[in-house]
Amino acid sequence: MTPAVKRPVRRSRLSRTPIWRILFLTVFIIFVLAPLYWVFVTSIKPSDDYLAIPPVWYPDQPTIIHYTAALFDYRGLNGLINSLIISVAATFLSCLFGTLMAYSLARFNTGGQHLSFWVLSQRFLPPIAIVLPIFLNYRALGLNDTHIGMILAYTVFTLPVSVWMMFAYFRGMPRSLEEAALVDGCTRWTSFWRVAVPLAAPGIVAAAVFTFIACWTEFFFALVLTSRNAYTLPTVFRAFLSFQGAQYGEASALAIVSLVPSIVLGVLVQKHLVRGLTLGAIRG
Amino acid sequence: MAGSATAVGTISGGRHLPSARQSDRRFKWLLVAPAALLILAISIYPLLFSIWVLFVNYDFQIPGHAFVGLKNFSQVIFDPVARYSLWVTVVLSVINVTIEFILGLAIAMALAKTFRGRGVIISILIVPLFISPVIVGQVWVLMLHNPFGPTNYLLGQLLGYDVTIKWLTQFPWNFVALILADVWQWTPFMFVILLAGLTSIPPHVYEAAELDGVGPWLTFWNITLPYLAPMIFLAITFRLLDAVRLFDTIFIMTGGGPGTSTYSASFYLYTIGFTQFHLSRATAGAWIFMVLTLLVIIFLVRRLLKAETR
Repeated sequence: MTPAVKRPVRRSRLSRTPIWRILFLTVFIIFVLAPLYWVFVTSIKPSDDYLAIPPVWYPDQPTIIHYTAALFDYRGLNGLINSLIISVAATFLSCLFGTLMAYSLARFNTGGQHLSFWVLSQRFLPPIAIVLPIFLNYRALGLNDTHIGMILAYTVFTLPVSVWMMFAYFRGMPRSLEEAALVDGCTRWTSFWRVAVPLAAPGIVAAAVFTFIACWTEFFFALVLTSRNAYTLPTVFRAFLSFQGAQYGEASALAIVSLVPSIVLGVLVQKHLVRGLTLGAIRG
Repeated sequence: MAGSATAVGTISGGRHLPSARQSDRRFKWLLVAPAALLILAISIYPLLFSIWVLFVNYDFQIPGHAFVGLKNFSQVIFDPVARYSLWVTVVLSVINVTIEFILGLAIAMALAKTFRGRGVIISILIVPLFISPVIVGQVWVLMLHNPFGPTNYLLGQLLGYDVTIKWLTQFPWNFVALILADVWQWTPFMFVILLAGLTSIPPHVYEAAELDGVGPWLTFWNITLPYLAPMIFLAITFRLLDAVRLFDTIFIMTGGGPGTSTYSASFYLYTIGFTQFHLSRATAGAWIFMVLTLLVIIFLVRRLLKAETR
C-alpha cells in the first residue's frame, strides 16, 4: 500500500462525515422528537384545534386550560403528589438498603454468587407473576391502595437496580482507604459509613436517580395495587381511555407534567446511563 | 473475583483476631439483612403463598377456597386465548428486539466517532428511555389517530390519496402501532449499550486493519462484531427479558383488541385476574409464564454472570 492511497482515507476518517450518516441520524432524530413535539403542541391547543383536518401544527391561541383541567378535574394533582411521595420514599429505602447490601456483597463476597444472582433474578421476574400474590397478601393485610404498600412494593422491585449498581461501584473502588481506617482503629461500621459511603456518593446519587425514574414511570404495579387512594400519576391515564378524542388535550397535558421531570433527571445523569441500564455490568 | 477473595482474606484473616473475624461475619450479614428480608417478605413469601392458591378455588365470583387439584392449570392450558397470547408475546418480543437491535447498532455506528454536536444528539436520542411506557402509548395514540393524527395526514400528502388506516383497531396495523411504540422507546437502550461497546474497541485494531487494506464490510464482520459480541449478548438478554413483559402500551393503545387479537401474556393474565377476578386461574397462568421466563433467565443470565466475573 502506497502513501498516496492512504492519505485520503485518513482524512475522511478525521473530518468528513458521510452524507448517508447525516441523513440517517436526521431521520431518526425526527422520529424521536416528532411524537414529543406533537404531545406538547396538543397540550396547548384549544379543543377545536385537535379535531381538525389538516392537523394544526401550532395553535394560533395557545392555552393552558388543559393543564388545569388535567390536574384538578381529573385528579392529576393527587396522582402527582402520590407519585412524588411514593417514589421519593421508595428511592430512599431502596438506595439505603441497596447500598448496605452491595457493600457486603462487594467487600465480603457475602453468600457467594448465589445471593447476588438471587437479587438479580428478582429484576427479571415477570411482574404479573409477583403482583398477583402481592395483591392477595396486601388484601389480607389491608395494604392494598395504601402509600405504605406501594412504597414497600417499589422498594423491592427497585432493589436489584440499586444493589447491582452499587455492587459494581464498590467493586471499582479501591479498598485501601477503608483498610487504612481499620488500621487506625475504626470499626467495620465506621470505615463503611465514614469512609466508603462518602467516597461512593456519586454512585449513590446516580443509583437514586435511576431508582426514582423507575418508580416514577412504573404503571403495572400501581394499576393493580391502587385504586382511589394511593393511585400514582401514570394510572391517571386510565381516565382517558373511554373517550374518543375529546380528552386528548388533558391527556397530553398530563403526559407533559409526568415526562418532563424524569427526562430532566435522566439527562442529568446520562454519563451513568450505561451502568444504570445494565445494572453495573458495563461501566460505560 | 479471585483477586477480591484473597484481599478479603488478608483483611479478616491476616491482621485480626478470630473474634474480629467473627464480628466481620456478623457485620456482613447485618448489612445484607434489610434488603434480603424485604425481598423475602414482599416477593418470596407471596410467591410461596400463591402455591397454595394454585390448587384451590380463589375466585371473587365463586366463594370459598375448595381444593380443585389441577383445574386451574387445565383451564389456562386449554384456553385458546392463553396460547394465542403467549404466541403474540413471543412473536412481538422477537420482532421488537430484532428491529431495536439493528437500528440501535446502526445509530451506534453512526455516532461512534466524535464530531461536533455528537453529545447533543446523544442527549436527544436517549430521552424516550425516561418516559413511562403508558405515556409512550398515549403519545402514539395521538400520533396515529384516525383521522385527526398527523401520521395518516402526512402519509396521505406523501402518497397523494387519503390514508385512513385505523392504526389501533385494524389488523395488521394494530401490531405495527405496538411495534412502533416499543421501537421508539427502546431503540435507545440498544444504542447506548452498543455505543459503549464500540467506543471501547481500541483504535489501533482498526488502524492495523486499514494498513492491511481490509475493506469496511470485512472490518465490520471480523473486528467490530467479535469485539461487540459480549455487549450484544448482554443488550439483547436484558431487552428480551423486558420485552416479554409487554403490557403498558397494549393497555393504553389497543386494550387487547379488537376482540382478543392483541392480547399479550401479561395482558391476558391481567384480564383473567383483575377484570374477571378468576384469581387462582390467573395465578396458575402466571406461574406457567414465570417458569417459562425463568428457564430463559437461568440460561441467559448465568452465561452473562460467567462471562462477567471471569
